[in-house]
Amino acid sequence: MSIPFIAVPLILASLMPLIGKISKRVLPDVLTSAALLGLLGYSVFAGRQTFLKGADIWKASWLGEALNITLVLDSFSVLLLLTISLIGLSVALYSIDYMEHFEAKASFYALLLVMIAGMNGLVLSNDLFTMYLFLEVAAVSSYGLIAFGLERNELEASLKYLLLSTVATAFLLLGIAIVFGLTGSLQLAAIAEAFSAVNNPAIVGFCMALFIMGFGLKAALVPFHAWLPDAHSSAPAPISAMLSGVLIKVSGIYALTRVCFTIFGTQPGLGQVLMILGIASILVGAIQALGQNDIKRMLAYSSISQIGYIILGLGVGTPLGILGAMFHLFNHAIAKGLLFLNSGALERATGTRELDRMGGLARKMPVTAGTSIIGSLSIAGVPPLNGFWSKLLIILALVQAKLYLPALIALLAGILTLWYYLIIQRRAFFGKLNETWNHVTEAPFWMSFSVLLLGTICILIGLLFPLVILGWIQPATDALTAGISQAIGLLGL
Amino acid sequence: MHTFLLLGLVSCSILAVFSSDLLKAAISLAGASIFLAMLFFEMGATYAGVFEISVVAGLITVLFIATISLTTKEEETKHSKRLRLLFPLILIGLILIDFLFMRQYLGGLAPLAGPAETGEFGQIFWGGRTFDLVAQIAIILSGVFCVLALFRKRSGDE
Repeated sequence: MSIPFIAVPLILASLMPLIGKISKRVLPDVLTSAALLGLLGYSVFAGRQTFLKGADIWKASWLGEALNITLVLDSFSVLLLLTISLIGLSVALYSIDYMEHFEAKASFYALLLVMIAGMNGLVLSNDLFTMYLFLEVAAVSSYGLIAFGLERNELEASLKYLLLSTVATAFLLLGIAIVFGLTGSLQLAAIAEAFSAVNNPAIVGFCMALFIMGFGLKAALVPFHAWLPDAHSSAPAPISAMLSGVLIKVSGIYALTRVCFTIFGTQPGLGQVLMILGIASILVGAIQALGQNDIKRMLAYSSISQIGYIILGLGVGTPLGILGAMFHLFNHAIAKGLLFLNSGALERATGTRELDRMGGLARKMPVTAGTSIIGSLSIAGVPPLNGFWSKLLIILALVQAKLYLPALIALLAGILTLWYYLIIQRRAFFGKLNETWNHVTEAPFWMSFSVLLLGTICILIGLLFPLVILGWIQPATDALTAGISQAIGLLGL
Repeated sequence: MHTFLLLGLVSCSILAVFSSDLLKAAISLAGASIFLAMLFFEMGATYAGVFEISVVAGLITVLFIATISLTTKEEETKHSKRLRLLFPLILIGLILIDFLFMRQYLGGLAPLAGPAETGEFGQIFWGGRTFDLVAQIAIILSGVFCVLALFRKRSGDE
């Protein structure tokens, strides 16, 4: 039964204003973290069940009457639910201390919980229009969360994100309307089947383009990435972690993969377009990250680059490429979540995000510095951390498919990534301590605890990667490739 | 009739975008919703029309007006002339795209077999799109929480 993934955060969010009246901080802190810990445990349990028994299709009923609520839980959705719950829990724990000085902590948690419910709903839905609605649930909450600090740059970033999201929405709604007009259905499986009878390459290509542009905007793929650096750097640090860690992956990558691959299969055109977008994102993100002095903007550009790797792996379309992409999606969520949380700790301690004003902070903030190094090396793809294995799989898949130039670009961009992450470490944590920061102390307990949790997971996944791949990533890849095979069979390709 | 309603819808939408007064913009948007609802009725989508009038033109407009009442008027924002030109240019561009490409691509689509809205209201509402209702409740919840968070009184610590 997968309804708790939507019902628990939604019910708790709706009670949060009342809970906030009873206790401004402690109860909202405890209940949010407890709910997300419960969801994390439940996603692990659901993952095991799916692994042993196969996909779970849950149909709701009310007093014996069937309601038209169907939730589909397969290994691909389980991987995403696990990622959302894990990053959500880390963010909630971190916010106990980070959001301490905000009066409206209950409203913050309420928006965070609705955003999580939205992402979970999107992942569990198998209906195109319902997916769109849950995408909007997550998006509307994220507009509020980005602007939560009420500063001018936060409001501006939120407005920019809202406007560009509206463009994405227009593309998606038009795509959904055309698909419904063509097939008469909104269920993914039924659409895939009905598409086999559509003998109009122009209209199929047009639909594909609309979905790629719509979800590409949500995933911040180049050239649809203009909103991301502002939004992710302006939001409160825990929300930046949530946005870069999971939101762009769920509302962008997951939705794009689920919709396009289930409906269109791996048509040659689709794979090539994804690979071009992936390579452009890898290069543009990495080059722009190099020139940044604001730590959060650098991390935001890095997200664009890493999303490029995931899309490149998916674009190859081979089982190994998809496996690498799935694994990198999971690894990047953890490592980038960790780095954004650490950037929040740095900003809280020093009052600045400018790297050239920092320096030598490792002596004052050893936990933040240590976990930052782990996160940075993981994203840069240094062995034996988790990011190394996923990047290796993507590059191997490219070589296996004889795509040598993209493989070389991915490899060289990896070196570029290591370069700019070493810049962060050197300028923020090493060298001579700036006298201005003599008073700086380590981040409070819950902030340090959540980054230690994510840092430990980065190391453990790196060391135990065969177990993670066999238990979680391979089943997710199998679920996705089963959808692709079905679509290819139906389309007669 | 369709053309008249469509013109009304586009005019109200343009007014909503260009109006510098938030209240007038919200009312123009409600007007656009009423035209859209009438279009729905004309095209036989009765339930969609009822929802458009009750939820969008009604409930959402009330929410907008309630939110606007929480704001205070600040000095007028100066708009650049280039920005004023941008919107008509985009509109003309979209109309051109519609004439040149969309009609060609979408004109050949066969209409769906049978009217979309047959059967009892309850059957469609509860039996057809129940899950959408959950998502819509969640969207309204997030809208309310956004208003609570963004229109809060800030303490000295923040």
